[in-house]
Amino acid sequence: MAQFIMIVVSAVFINNFVVVQFLGICPFLGVSKDCKSAFGMGLAVTFVMTLTCLITYPIYTYVLVPLKIEFMEIIVFIFIIAAIVQMIEMALKRFSPTLYNAMGIYLPLITTNCAVLGVAELVIDTSQIASLIGIAAGSMNIGYAVLYGLFAGVGFTVAIVIMSGMREKIARLNIAKSLKGFPIAMITACFIAMAFYVFALI
Amino acid sequence: MQYLLMASVDVNKLFIVLALVAAISVVFAAFIVLVSKLCAVPVDKKQSAIQENLAGANCGGCGYAGCSDFAKALAEGKADISSCGPTSAENKRKIAVIMGIPYSEEKKKAVVHCSGGNACSDKYEYVGAESCTVQSVFMGGRKDCSFGCIGGGTCVANCAYDALGIGGNGVAKIDDALCEACGVCVKTCPKKLIELVPYSAKIYVACSSQCKGKDVMNACKSGCIGCGICAKFCPEQAIVIENNLPVIDYSRCSGCKTCVAKCPRKCIKEF
Repeated sequence: MAQFIMIVVSAVFINNFVVVQFLGICPFLGVSKDCKSAFGMGLAVTFVMTLTCLITYPIYTYVLVPLKIEFMEIIVFIFIIAAIVQMIEMALKRFSPTLYNAMGIYLPLITTNCAVLGVAELVIDTSQIASLIGIAAGSMNIGYAVLYGLFAGVGFTVAIVIMSGMREKIARLNIAKSLKGFPIAMITACFIAMAFYVFALI
Repeated sequence: MQYLLMASVDVNKLFIVLALVAAISVVFAAFIVLVSKLCAVPVDKKQSAIQENLAGANCGGCGYAGCSDFAKALAEGKADISSCGPTSAENKRKIAVIMGIPYSEEKKKAVVHCSGGNACSDKYEYVGAESCTVQSVFMGGRKDCSFGCIGGGTCVANCAYDALGIGGNGVAKIDDALCEACGVCVKTCPKKLIELVPYSAKIYVACSSQCKGKDVMNACKSGCIGCGICAKFCPEQAIVIENNLPVIDYSRCSGCKTCVAKCPRKCIKEF
């Protein structure tokens, strides 16, 4: 239970992938114009992250490490992520065309979303992940990896939903012409990131 | 001895790597094929055929999110092809053939039923947003005539074809050559002054005021007073007076322009 809480707090707040580690900025700024599609994007990324951890962790631990070809990790992970995204895209098109249209170009872009690759790389780095969630380095297993992937996705969702909420409000404000649109979004992102740094003190 | 950027190739490792990549490729290819079979979306051939024949302007005049949405609604029989202005008559006929329905429609053009503008007096000084929609909130707009064109340019801003402009007389003006009859202006005008008429129409009524003659006189120098002279002199009986306004039946109108000459207020105009 203590480990579970540590994973939640670590993945969602202290080491939030977007606003603390600055990974996955592309969808964070691109799909955060309205809350609904931002939430959809968050869910898709969460799903991809969880599945990625579920598949990459055993492949790394039980295939790459025994064969002593750990250097292949990035190529193999990108392979896997691309395949998962491809499958999700087809499934979404079939079951939720609305969400599919709302996400548009950003859905294939999850393939190259560094937050997803980031979480796959993080969970195999046994010593670092163990120190992040406060367990002994040897006791890392697939359960922790999948949980961390899940809550890293939740962290992404939280960040992007906060961001889209702020942007929806800012869109109605009277702001200087030179700051309208993207510049004010960057400034907003900066303040959200500063707010999240408070958690680093925990 | 090792040199920078030089590494010996371990042939066994190379084979392992190749085998691993091949294995992963095959496994995921199999999964993707499986998922694509399971999640195949039936492509509606009718819909794509209809969309090929639509103008592709994505103007939104039909009330749908875009041409693909409209094509979908057409294929499902929810929409009417005549609500699309930009598509050429030839292509509409093709779409009708695809859908298996008869089609007959003439090209249309939009017209503004007002000639007041500067000729119409103001009831108060207005300072604020240009938009007619905003202006009409305050006591129905600044004009003394509650039916007339405010001249704020909401229709101009919404026209995707640059066919609209505010003329020198302060009334929205439509360039027939550019108008595609998409109908966006008809929907956006808060005063409901714009109407689609047959492209062959020669004349139109440049007033929408349903007020009695005296009230129109007080507010506007060019408004229709509903005298009925046009209806009386029309040789084709194409004009009737309804709500103090002449209504032209374009199917009867021969374009003789007797009404234009006879109108004492000059509010029946030629195109």
